[in-house]
Amino acid sequence: MSDALLEIENLTKSFGGVHAVRECTFSVPEGGVAGLIGPNGAGKSTVVDLVSGFGLPDSGSIRLAGEQLIGKRPDVISRLGLIRTFQTPREWRNLTVIDNLMLARRRFADESFWRSMAHARRIRRAEEADRVAVRGILDRFGLAELKNELAVRLSGGQKRLLEFARIAAAEPRLIILDEPMGGVNPVLGARIGDAVRQFAAEGRTVIVVEHNLPFIERTCDQVVVMDLGEVIAQGPFSGLRGNPRVIEAYLGMDLGHG
Amino acid sequence: MYWVSIVTEAGIFAILALGLDVIWGWAGDFDLMFYGYLALGSYMTFVLTIGKPTPPVEYIIGGHLPVLVSMVVAIAVVVAFAAIIGAIALRNLREIYFAVTTLGAVSALYLIVENYTPLFDGYNGVYGLINPGQTALNLTYNGYRILLLVVVLLLLALAYLLVQRLSRSPFGRMLRSVREDERAAAAYGRNVFFSKYRAYLFGAAFAGLAGGLFAIFVSAFNPSAWTPQELLVIYAAILVGGRGNPRGVILGVFVIYIGLIELTRFLPSPASRPDFGPALRQVLIGLMIILMLRFRPQGFFPERPGVDPGPRPAGRRPWRLRVPAMAASSDTAAASPATTPASPEAASARQAADEGGAG
Repeated sequence: MSDALLEIENLTKSFGGVHAVRECTFSVPEGGVAGLIGPNGAGKSTVVDLVSGFGLPDSGSIRLAGEQLIGKRPDVISRLGLIRTFQTPREWRNLTVIDNLMLARRRFADESFWRSMAHARRIRRAEEADRVAVRGILDRFGLAELKNELAVRLSGGQKRLLEFARIAAAEPRLIILDEPMGGVNPVLGARIGDAVRQFAAEGRTVIVVEHNLPFIERTCDQVVVMDLGEVIAQGPFSGLRGNPRVIEAYLGMDLGHG
Repeated sequence: MYWVSIVTEAGIFAILALGLDVIWGWAGDFDLMFYGYLALGSYMTFVLTIGKPTPPVEYIIGGHLPVLVSMVVAIAVVVAFAAIIGAIALRNLREIYFAVTTLGAVSALYLIVENYTPLFDGYNGVYGLINPGQTALNLTYNGYRILLLVVVLLLLALAYLLVQRLSRSPFGRMLRSVREDERAAAAYGRNVFFSKYRAYLFGAAFAGLAGGLFAIFVSAFNPSAWTPQELLVIYAAILVGGRGNPRGVILGVFVIYIGLIELTRFLPSPASRPDFGPALRQVLIGLMIILMLRFRPQGFFPERPGVDPGPRPAGRRPWRLRVPAMAASSDTAAASPATTPASPEAASARQAADEGGAG
């Protein structure tokens, strides 16, 4: 437990009378890709919201590298090294692709009101270095030709790739992807899988919330299974096939072939 | 002298509009309190400069400060007042909720100023700020008015340079990301409230400055000078010029302001209806807002996107080029629907999306 990057203990959250998350406990080690799976209404997205500060739990504890996250604002948690996505891509629509990535570089110090006014030239020079890095990232995700387009003009698939390019530009320690495969065709899906593996290869920790079990099997080193707000199993994907609670939660779905 | 007066007034309103554009154009907050800040800046400049009131006239402070010092103090008071309003309204309220809250704030301010006479002498208002410093500068009346015009235009140029610099800075970009998608901005480490708050205070400072200049310009100020319709003109000017583009905003103010006044000046004004001209102006402004929103919601000078001029030249028609992953899949579905509308439905859907983004 002590070497875990993210430790969640007894996390509970209810909306009105509905227990979205109940006494949820699991941990994710540093490095590698972890899957968070479960049927609709299992509480996966609520857990993501609570971890990233977009919701306040009723009780429990969430630690990122030992630091308690509960009560912190989303932006504070993000600055600790966590980047999360949402179920639909949330690009900054009327900004250009390159501006989307420059924002993801997160030079917070240069965004101060006074620095922006007083040190315009110095900031511009610093940004030039960032632009070089950002152009490389755009190349990697096949968006280089679109860099000066407004993000709103991109197709659905390009917006997904922009989301991943932004994460790459942000260089976070922990990445949480909320259903990255939603509405994605197989070719783009393979590309997203590659991007996830590459994040892991760079030493980042990735948590993937997903319904697409073949994707989880291909991409994840270990899996956490939730149902009705509780964690019902945790371990490598292959070990879950025989688990009766997991089979019951997925209504007898053949886990081997999704 | 007629033109000196018109251009001076337009210049003052251009400074005001630059401030409002930071709040609405960059940060995306539809603030209806804004004209109240101009009024407050104006009142404060008066009461700090024109000396003790003689009964039955009554107002607070009654200072005898040099007018330039008064204006600086007035700006500080306006920013402090905006700090209170902004802290309440920007915390959790957005869009229409924010607009309604700020409308409530300005209505409350209006009623208090109008009815509580010890503050700024109620409906009679304050007066007596007639060309402060004219004798010290040894100028004629007309010479002073021309000097005022020059000062206003200089301050406008300064305000423009300042805003333009910020607009292209990381600060301006960060504000626009908050405007475009607050949750994504927070997920990438931006403190949404504090970002909007800073924009709000910065914008309010411009209103304070414009208020001080307006005080010198009109030499008397009472509640009839800051009715809610005035703010509509400023919003219309930003909309026509181009929300988020400082150059467009200034141009919009001059075109709307001078254009409207000139257009309605020569119309016959029936003796029985002396308010015909001003009323027609309101109608024209409303009509113009509707037409702009329908046909060119981004304004005549749209916000300039942050492009990368870098070593890699942009493709001639970049939207035509698809990413390899998409090109390999079904082809027509992957083409960007935003640039190649296949049907009238798609075109109108894009229109709706564009309007949603701009408004």
